[in-house]
Amino acid sequence: MKIGIPRALLFQYYYPLWRSLFERLGFEIVVSDESTKPLVQKGIAVTVPEICFPIKIYNGHVINLMEKGVDYIFCPRFVHIEKDYWFCPKYIGLPELVEMSVPGSNVLVAEIDCQREDTADPKCYAPVAKKLGIPMSKMKTALKGAAEDFAKFREYCHLGLTLDEAAKVMFEGASVEDFILPEYDTTIGLIGYIYNVYDPFISMNIIKKLRELKVNVITFDMLDARQLLKYRNNCTRPIFWTFPDKLYQSASVMIKDLQVQGIIHITAFGCGPDSIVGKEIEHDFADSGVPFMTLRIDEHTGESHLQTRIEAFTDMIKRKIRKVKEVREVNEVKR
Amino acid sequence: MKVSFPHMGCVTGYKRLMEKLGHEVIMPERPSQRTMELGAKYSPEFICFPFKVMTGTYIECAEKGAQLIVSSGGNGPCRAGMYPDVHQKVLQELGYKTEVMVFDNMFKDFSAFVKTAKRLMNGTNIFKTAGIAAYVYALVKKMDKLEKRLKIIRAYEVNQGDFSKAWKNIVSMFEKTNTIRDVNRTYKKALEIFDSIPCREVKEQERIRVGIVGEIYVIMEPTVNKNVEEILNSLGVEVENVQYISDWVEHNVIPKWLPFPKSHRVFKSSDKVSPINCGGHDKENMGWVFDFAKRGFDGVVHLMPFACLPELVNLGKFPAVSKELNMPIISLSLDEQMGEAHVKTRLEAFSDLIKSKHFSKQQPTSGNVADSFENAARKVGTKVDKVKENLQTSPAKPEYQAK
Repeated sequence: MKIGIPRALLFQYYYPLWRSLFERLGFEIVVSDESTKPLVQKGIAVTVPEICFPIKIYNGHVINLMEKGVDYIFCPRFVHIEKDYWFCPKYIGLPELVEMSVPGSNVLVAEIDCQREDTADPKCYAPVAKKLGIPMSKMKTALKGAAEDFAKFREYCHLGLTLDEAAKVMFEGASVEDFILPEYDTTIGLIGYIYNVYDPFISMNIIKKLRELKVNVITFDMLDARQLLKYRNNCTRPIFWTFPDKLYQSASVMIKDLQVQGIIHITAFGCGPDSIVGKEIEHDFADSGVPFMTLRIDEHTGESHLQTRIEAFTDMIKRKIRKVKEVREVNEVKR
Repeated sequence: MKVSFPHMGCVTGYKRLMEKLGHEVIMPERPSQRTMELGAKYSPEFICFPFKVMTGTYIECAEKGAQLIVSSGGNGPCRAGMYPDVHQKVLQELGYKTEVMVFDNMFKDFSAFVKTAKRLMNGTNIFKTAGIAAYVYALVKKMDKLEKRLKIIRAYEVNQGDFSKAWKNIVSMFEKTNTIRDVNRTYKKALEIFDSIPCREVKEQERIRVGIVGEIYVIMEPTVNKNVEEILNSLGVEVENVQYISDWVEHNVIPKWLPFPKSHRVFKSSDKVSPINCGGHDKENMGWVFDFAKRGFDGVVHLMPFACLPELVNLGKFPAVSKELNMPIISLSLDEQMGEAHVKTRLEAFSDLIKSKHFSKQQPTSGNVADSFENAARKVGTKVDKVKENLQTSPAKPEYQAK
């Protein structure tokens, strides 16, 4: 039996868990192709025009999987992975949204409503076990193993690897040393959701582009979960979405502890939580002196636009660093 | 203290509540073009439309010197829960000292609720406050009842504008009330006013009915939704709105396991299509759509602010749901760019379509004609039987003659 996993939304973050889980259960998994223009166009054609870009891409991937002839499409419904912290409403309604906009899609739903980051709670995966006809005991052992794999995967991420690189280390036999980069004098915090940063169609390989400009990149998934809790009490009102809260907290950690020289916020057109989080970050860290740029991306965004803006932003930061250094040297000579 | 609140639908209830508690009320203006421009200028770009309108209203209130703005909070996945925080920051950036205060869910954090309530009570003792609350509730409940009626009979007014004029009078009458008895008296008077307005007579099967569902702020505030209800009424269509302040309060205060108010049952009826509420009113709205279909409504108008998170989930489901229920659903997403002519044109086209659909159902087809002949024959048969019975028993006053 083939289970299809769309390469969209939270795929890059939970892929190791899902792959490990379904392989332990003895299913074949099929991952949809990387996002391309035709694939995305198919998604746009079936989805309501107003909805945010990542959901359109998700539907494109679902159609791609159906063309590949899978039996089930794995489409978890994320509600909670932490108490009092929600997912965006579109995640909560996602399975029905997919079923109704892509007719004939056979959706395999996991009800993620638990208090663990790795979602490996047997309660959440009970509907999956029921639909696939697996005994719960088998599911429990498989989940336990998958959770261990996920923890290992997150360890690699904390070493400073991107999610793609960590997955390569996990499954393709690459070693951590392959991805060690030279330390540059400029560090930029790149904040944006998994799909905004890692989907090559949305982000247009922004991490690679930044590294070519001799910049160290930090994303929120490289930070430890405990680190993200550090400044949570400073919020004027809790930001009650899981990943938007992570973004906000990572921005505060980056500015206060990691001394980044600039922050790029990458967001998709029509993203609801980002409209709030962007404003909060802009307002709360206005006095910190760290430059902040928002990149908004939709199906019409051109690659040269992105390139130009990133280059201008990094040039400005590098010039600032140089200027500060010069002034300091002059001051020292005077003394 | 100078207190204000966002303008949402009929604000008489809030106004009376604040006045009774001894605050000076800064009345918020009806959202105008200036309000929306101010809001769009100082709000984050991609935030939903209600936020922008409320920002505009708050700025206008702050200009007039309001010290405290009271609003409702939330902690669900809808963006509305973050409104007060961002509003506060926007006002702060603009240099106003106005404070935004919210009522959060009292079942979640009761002590915080008591704290905010105490501040608002302004030293009034608890029994008096309870009395005021009962009065305000009666006021709001009666006004909502009248408004529901207004939206049905306004469709058949002979001289256009009569009912809207009368409604303005009624609102000012209610503003002068002081006790529950006053409210009841005014309610009776208002009903008399309604009855005195000339109306067309319509047969039951010729009534065209439309339900309005959507995000609570845009369906309640007529200036924001470009007077959708009045436009529909002027096209001869009855309107039923699903959100009123009194209903909202009942839905949130009365425990969920009780069968009343109706919104609790409606909430559960959409389990098949939306198993979990995605925040806001999306599950309830889906339930209302099913309810309207069950009651034989001719169509549903779905209003949502541009990029509203929960309503977008509904929007994605509506094409399939509309097909399944065989009921037309029109979605209008509203933002500061929306023009009244746009809404009018689309609603005219929609009402023409639902009218032709409604009457085509009633037009006789060959099957229908055969059915109606059969029915007629059966009726005649029963009548004949009755006549026979009457003749046999020969009572003093035969039943058929009395009619």
